[in-house]
Amino acid sequence: MHSTPTKAPFSHPGWQLIPGQLIGLALLILVALGLGSMVLTAGGLDLSTVLNSRYLRGVVWFTVWQATLSVLLSLALALPIARALARYRRFPGRSALLRVMELSLVLPTIVAVSGIIGVYGRQGWATGLLNEWLPGNGWNLYGLNGILLAHVFFNAPLAARVMLQSLEAISPARLRIASQLGLRGWWLWRSVEWPALRAVLPGLSALVFTLCFTSFAIIMTLGGGPSATTLEVAIYQALRFEFDFPQAAVLAVIQLLICGSLWWLVFRQRVESALLPNRQVSHAVPLRAWRAQPLLAAALLALFSLFLLLPLLAIGIRGLPALLALDAGVPIYKQLLPATGRSLLIALPAGLASVAVALMILASANRAKNPLLKGIPTTTGYLPLIVPPIVLGTGLFLLLRPGLGNHAQGWVLVALINSLMALPFVIQVLRGPLSSFDRHSLRVADQLGILGWYRWRRMYWPLLRRPMALGLAYGIALSMGDFGVIALFGSPGQPTLPVLLYQQLGSYQVVAAAGTGLWLLMLLVFIFGLLSAIGRPPAHQSKSRLPETTLEPEHA
Amino acid sequence: MFYRLSLLLLAMTLPLAAHSADRTVLNVYTHPSFAAEWGPGPGVKEAFEKQCDCTLNYTVLNSGGDILQRLRLEGASTPADLVLGLDTATMETALRTGLIGEHGRSLEALDLPIDWDDAHFIPYDWGYFAFVYDTQQLPEPPTSFEELINAPDDLKIIIQDPRTSTPGLGLLLWMHSVYGEEASAKWAQLNDKVLATTQSWSDGYFSLFMNGEAPMILSYSTSPAYHMAVDKTDRYQAVQFDEGHYLQVEVAALVESSDQKTLARSFLDFMLTPEFQTHIPLKNVMYPAIDLGDDLPSVFDRLITPEHTFFLPPAEVAGQRRQLVNNWLDAMTR
Repeated sequence: MHSTPTKAPFSHPGWQLIPGQLIGLALLILVALGLGSMVLTAGGLDLSTVLNSRYLRGVVWFTVWQATLSVLLSLALALPIARALARYRRFPGRSALLRVMELSLVLPTIVAVSGIIGVYGRQGWATGLLNEWLPGNGWNLYGLNGILLAHVFFNAPLAARVMLQSLEAISPARLRIASQLGLRGWWLWRSVEWPALRAVLPGLSALVFTLCFTSFAIIMTLGGGPSATTLEVAIYQALRFEFDFPQAAVLAVIQLLICGSLWWLVFRQRVESALLPNRQVSHAVPLRAWRAQPLLAAALLALFSLFLLLPLLAIGIRGLPALLALDAGVPIYKQLLPATGRSLLIALPAGLASVAVALMILASANRAKNPLLKGIPTTTGYLPLIVPPIVLGTGLFLLLRPGLGNHAQGWVLVALINSLMALPFVIQVLRGPLSSFDRHSLRVADQLGILGWYRWRRMYWPLLRRPMALGLAYGIALSMGDFGVIALFGSPGQPTLPVLLYQQLGSYQVVAAAGTGLWLLMLLVFIFGLLSAIGRPPAHQSKSRLPETTLEPEHA
Repeated sequence: MFYRLSLLLLAMTLPLAAHSADRTVLNVYTHPSFAAEWGPGPGVKEAFEKQCDCTLNYTVLNSGGDILQRLRLEGASTPADLVLGLDTATMETALRTGLIGEHGRSLEALDLPIDWDDAHFIPYDWGYFAFVYDTQQLPEPPTSFEELINAPDDLKIIIQDPRTSTPGLGLLLWMHSVYGEEASAKWAQLNDKVLATTQSWSDGYFSLFMNGEAPMILSYSTSPAYHMAVDKTDRYQAVQFDEGHYLQVEVAALVESSDQKTLARSFLDFMLTPEFQTHIPLKNVMYPAIDLGDDLPSVFDRLITPEHTFFLPPAEVAGQRRQLVNNWLDAMTR
């Protein structure tokens, strides 16, 4: 079967183009159906209902305002963190900190928020300290403060990781020159760091903006009240109690317009990040620093670690009693273990699917020449971020009705939507590495007939292994913590972990719920730990045999 | 790798396909707190299946609102035979879908604080909205809306958003019943006391109230029963307001397009028997809809008993809700 190496499996160019296009089209149809059904019931879109309402104008304004502030704060914090992490590679706990940074994004909101309240709430540790040092400081978590704090908690680590990835991709040659010239401070930033970051900043800002723009649970819990309402909340309200399809459709369209045009701008302005090969610097190049700089960086990283870890610690302290009370009348593991099994049953396929779909979409976007064909998979990657889940759900519902009979279909469906929801993050992780092959290497591979499956196996796999493991971790973890989709599709009476958590909350089982929250957190830590261990190539392989040496003739 | 992956995928999804149903199935749409392991759902299922030679199948939707949404989307092709978990504030909306059938059941067994003669909906439990407080943080809670509104500013309460939660809407109707035209002004005054307006009851109760963030939360008059009977603590109590309390009744109804109407009706009858109702007090933490006599847990004797009950007819609620919510939004954002 494999006797003729010239006909490698999947070597037809269509394999790179068509699956991604089909998936993209399917998603577009889904959104169109969901939105279309609302617009049709409404008999048209009437934007004036929003423009004429003082409250709704306020909602749009507040949504944009808090998202903008969240982006600025998240990036402002992420930038020094990423620089410190890129320069000082040997401080103890660096890799642990990187794991925690991956984790914060996928923590289920309700669990994370409970931890944040434990630290910064009225009875929180930090608040207590602050009140001792600075009596009458007027700190209040509830309101814009809380929203921004939580958004920074969720997004700054993500932003820092993406920035770190770009900083680490700076070519050693460039760094060596900078080092020889003794560049530091402003000049180092100007000539080395800024050019590396410039490429990812627009996309990163758009990603964080969109995440904060569509944020829901954080706004509802920490926002304090209706003066802090986002479009997503207003859409939810319009559909939940009022069945006001016209209003929901108008609001959803406004959300799509604002976030969509932002992404459109980003893609138009996008500096081709593929020009920067994504190679890890093997030896840190000694750059000149101000004398206090290492100390400052250490202090910054320590503070940042505290910022991320304290809420997790609060979750741990609250949840531990329930998990340790093995015989105290509450047979907590009797529910936890089956729920874990069910969650994994959804999350593992969802994670695998999200990685597979992300690869197909990226391949298709890279392959396509026609702007329209390029646009379909590119849009698909970000659509799940900006379309309210309820619109997606409605679309899916109309598409599948009345075939939604048994549980099996429901579960497959939930896994499918979960994988779509994780798509933007997985794509973000895989985009850089996948497009980092320089044209020259690819041309050589073409000439040698390393195509299709073989090209994938020998060229891409060794380089994509780690990012794929991280993408898989994101995909799995996001579905593990998902409550929205599973609730939308009427989970069977057998709960997944987040559903179990909500059931416990709904029936006063506060202690058990705290235990479930901690359990979920530990499971996520375990998944990230396991996958990062798997993603790391075995020691004897780490001096990668194939690609870099043979396919890089102009090695510096 | 590719083939191994697809095999793995297949192996993981196979158990999902193994699902059979050979007996008659009664499909019930309900919400999580009913169907949960600790809710009345499992016990009710066991008791009903013993007598019906059928399978009782719960489809668990996030809330009463989601049950309605699903029903509307599915229309007459819905697989649901029964909906359980709507309340007096969502009844009218449900009725307007045209998908709810008349029950034709006798309502004699009912024991509610109000008369009930609705042709479509049958109550299965009830309770009052009330503020629950932490006796350790707040030994002397305000005992009326007036006292609450005029309390010192450092007294904070947690309420729920009437746009997304049932108790939140309940408080809106409660304030409206107490204050009528003046409600908006009173809301504006109450605004200073509100620490947070949460999306759902459970968000507020778990993340905030149990963390000690505020000493008082909008909940149900029956909430302390759970703490007293199961958690064995008297720490959390409901405060009785002089003005009176608003009543919530949870209801079930049969779906017009169901082809299991006989079975569905026998379930509605079953709902008003002790076999169903004994699961209500400590598992749904509400009052049972019939007189359970000595089977009512003794902690229920220690709950508040409002002197005045407010209740707006469902049709009136449906007609006014939107305006009330808008007034509330105006008052709280001004």
